[in-house]
Amino acid sequence: MTKGKQLFSAADIDGAVGKIASGIGDEFKGDFRECALVGIHQQGVPLAERICRALEKKFGSAPVLGKLDISMYRDDIGNRMRLPPIRETEIPFDVNGSSIILVDDVLSTGRTIRAALDALTDYGRAGLIRLAVLVDRGNPEFPIRADYVGFTAHPPEKMKVVVRFEEDGEPGIYAVEWKNQNL
Amino acid sequence: MNYILKNARIIDPGRGIDAVGDIGIENGLVADPGKVKKPTVMDLAGKVLTPGFIDLHVHLRQPGNTMAETIASGTAAAAAGGFTSVVAMPNTSPAADTAGAIEYLRQTAARTGVVRVLPCGCMTKGYAGQEMAGIGSLKTAGVVALSDDGKCIQDHALMRHVVEYAKSFELPILDHCEDNCLAAGGVMHEGKWSVLLGMNGMNGAAEELMISRNIILARQIGWSIHMQHVSVKESVDLLRKARAEGIAVTGEATPHHLSLTDENIKKYDTNYKMNPPLRSEEDRQALIRGVADGTITAIATDHAPHTATAKLVEFDHAPFGIIGLETALGVTYTVLVDSGIMQLPEYVKRLTTGPAEILRMKGYDLSEGKAADITVFDPEAEYVIDPAKFKSKSRNTPFGGRKVKCRPLLTFVGGKLVYSFEG
Amino acid sequence: MEWTRKDLLSLYDLNAEEIECILDTAAEFKKVSQRRVKKVPALRGKTVVNFFVEPSTRTRVSFELAEQRLSADVVNMQAQSSSLLKGETLLDTVKNIEALQVDLVVMRHSATGAQAFIASKLKCGVINAGDGAHSHPTQALLDIFTMREKKGTVKGLKVTILGDILHSRVARSNMWGLLKLGAHVTLAGPSTLVPREFESVPGVRVCHNLEEAVEGADVVNLLRIQHERQTAGFFPGIGEYARFFGINSDNMKLMKPDVLIMHPGPINRDVELSGEVADCSNSVILEQVTNGLAIRMAVLFLVAGCVKK
Repeated sequence: MTKGKQLFSAADIDGAVGKIASGIGDEFKGDFRECALVGIHQQGVPLAERICRALEKKFGSAPVLGKLDISMYRDDIGNRMRLPPIRETEIPFDVNGSSIILVDDVLSTGRTIRAALDALTDYGRAGLIRLAVLVDRGNPEFPIRADYVGFTAHPPEKMKVVVRFEEDGEPGIYAVEWKNQNL
Repeated sequence: MNYILKNARIIDPGRGIDAVGDIGIENGLVADPGKVKKPTVMDLAGKVLTPGFIDLHVHLRQPGNTMAETIASGTAAAAAGGFTSVVAMPNTSPAADTAGAIEYLRQTAARTGVVRVLPCGCMTKGYAGQEMAGIGSLKTAGVVALSDDGKCIQDHALMRHVVEYAKSFELPILDHCEDNCLAAGGVMHEGKWSVLLGMNGMNGAAEELMISRNIILARQIGWSIHMQHVSVKESVDLLRKARAEGIAVTGEATPHHLSLTDENIKKYDTNYKMNPPLRSEEDRQALIRGVADGTITAIATDHAPHTATAKLVEFDHAPFGIIGLETALGVTYTVLVDSGIMQLPEYVKRLTTGPAEILRMKGYDLSEGKAADITVFDPEAEYVIDPAKFKSKSRNTPFGGRKVKCRPLLTFVGGKLVYSFEG
Repeated sequence: MEWTRKDLLSLYDLNAEEIECILDTAAEFKKVSQRRVKKVPALRGKTVVNFFVEPSTRTRVSFELAEQRLSADVVNMQAQSSSLLKGETLLDTVKNIEALQVDLVVMRHSATGAQAFIASKLKCGVINAGDGAHSHPTQALLDIFTMREKKGTVKGLKVTILGDILHSRVARSNMWGLLKLGAHVTLAGPSTLVPREFESVPGVRVCHNLEEAVEGADVVNLLRIQHERQTAGFFPGIGEYARFFGINSDNMKLMKPDVLIMHPGPINRDVELSGEVADCSNSVILEQVTNGLAIRMAVLFLVAGCVKK
């Protein structure tokens, strides 16, 4: 897989995670007892873990961590050549009345978030739902906005924004041509 | 029309001839090539010329199932396969178990048939295996043999009486050897593949049992019995042993049993479904050895046409049978001769004098004055079998797309050129 | 890995990765049935026809529920109520169904190979709910899923399948699936119902003695013994079968202490297994039913999920 053009470095990512964590901490005034961070597969999951660690470091406590796979809620089932494999969904808390922060690496069309909202609704009636993203491309196809944003970036539409963490090798945020991707 | 066929390799087993030479045809008979008047001359250098092939086992489906085949289309298919005579199986609808039915067959064949149709009568009424048919009347009406093909007389006492009675009319018996109990409900060979696929199997012992029954009766009564479509290794062994002991039993093998096995069933293609079913590789090899060493003296197609609609159903429910007249030469030549297992003259016997002897036809050869039933083929021609070009009305063959060697070129029946390969 | 098949006909066709993919997907769908809202919109707007030429209640209900929990529109057809009875060929019937723009056909038929025949002629996907004695992939998948869930892995497990193997599509599908995942398979039962030809498959042992078959087993999967076999002369009767091949607390002692007792259902108490065994803690028979729903949701999701080439 080609690396693509680097937009931001690993150090930039760390900084952005800290910025998002501060934003969350300020809103909830350091009290995360009714709070949950739910990472959306794939890269929303390691991102949520990092935000959690940052909150732990800054405030001494952190929200409950969950993960969500939205494959069953996609709006393009039957129209894709391949379906990506379903990954693990874990919602280890009661959604009813909770404050949930959805976490994803890149906000692009907004459809993933739409699906995630539908999924969460099937678990219960949340108190409020916020959205944290590392990169906001700023051109959603749905009226979805992010509440906590790491960076904005506007690469050309034919480029995909890819986030790599340390465990993926060559960490950073890259713009890669669509045809070089598996999906 | 008269002909001089020049420079062919003439293989005439009846006279023990295998040499390059010329053959003349005048007024429908074999003639001295030097004396034929107003001949059409054909140069057949590199080609092989033999007495016309005889197929002991053909279903012409008329009367009763003319959507699948008629005497006209079936005999056209025979001619295209190099056959000059076919024995018409009597399991038509109505069955050929009366003189009237035989007369209908003879008249329709005379009017529309392209090659000689040799009528075969039922052994029992309606080939139901219960009451003997009017065998004497059938002989008078012109049958050359008796068969209940499709079914097998299960009552041994009745079979004994049929054989004894047929003996007195000198009629050959062609038996479809199958014990109903061991084969009942089966759709394929009982073996490794039927077990893995979960299909009902037809145990090979069903054939062995009836072949043993027939060998015993042939020995006791002193009349020959011919085993149709032998398919199992043990059947070949039984035949070999019985013939060595001088018992008058003969056997035939089909091109599909010589070339295909039961593993093909995993495709669920009903063009591989017939009775007896395709057997294991071990059985196929034993059958090839049997044909090569003369235990089995005839190749017969069991040409069984079915409409596409009839065959386009679940494997369990599909009728048994595949066509074979137009693929017999290519398939069997490739498996038996091109592979080096048999020599050409010996192979030719299986299609000519072998079947002729089973029908008690004496002197089946190309000596002067004999009927000019002649087959000419090209043993070097390699081609891919294309069912779209068949003369048969039906297309139920597993051999579509198969590459084979040896092509029928010319077929003469009574001196008339009834088939000539174009292309 | 990604699912790319138009149909699911037999585990014989799948490789280990594809089977694991179905099991992993089913694990997620199992959670859906444990939530408050037991439904996901994955197959919304898609039409699934349950075409059962051979009657069935349990499998059909399981498929129907799975389809509804995926938000699909469901149509049930039985042979008696279809035009098959009027003489329409199977192919024409199914083509007529396809002409209604259905997305998926779930089919059961008593003739082996019927689904394979149909699948090759239809543009929409076909899921085999059982064909003749040949294949019942979703049953085997739910059996294997249960084993994997309870034991952690299928690889190296000693699995004994006991009963009328000859006529069982459940046995055959289990056999192929288990072998692909590296289990050891023993096929056991009366000698008339368990042919030695099965040993031509590498990794399979055939056993006609119960004690030998279950000794040290991790899993014992019991097949329902059908009354018709008795009249067909295969074995003397239910009493003799129960005596020589029925599982009870005595012969359970030969198995591993944490052995799984499985059965595709419906069970014949005191024939394949004693009432005690059916109710003991080793029995996972009811969990199989729950897992069946998850497996069928997974299979429907995967087969419906990708564009058919």
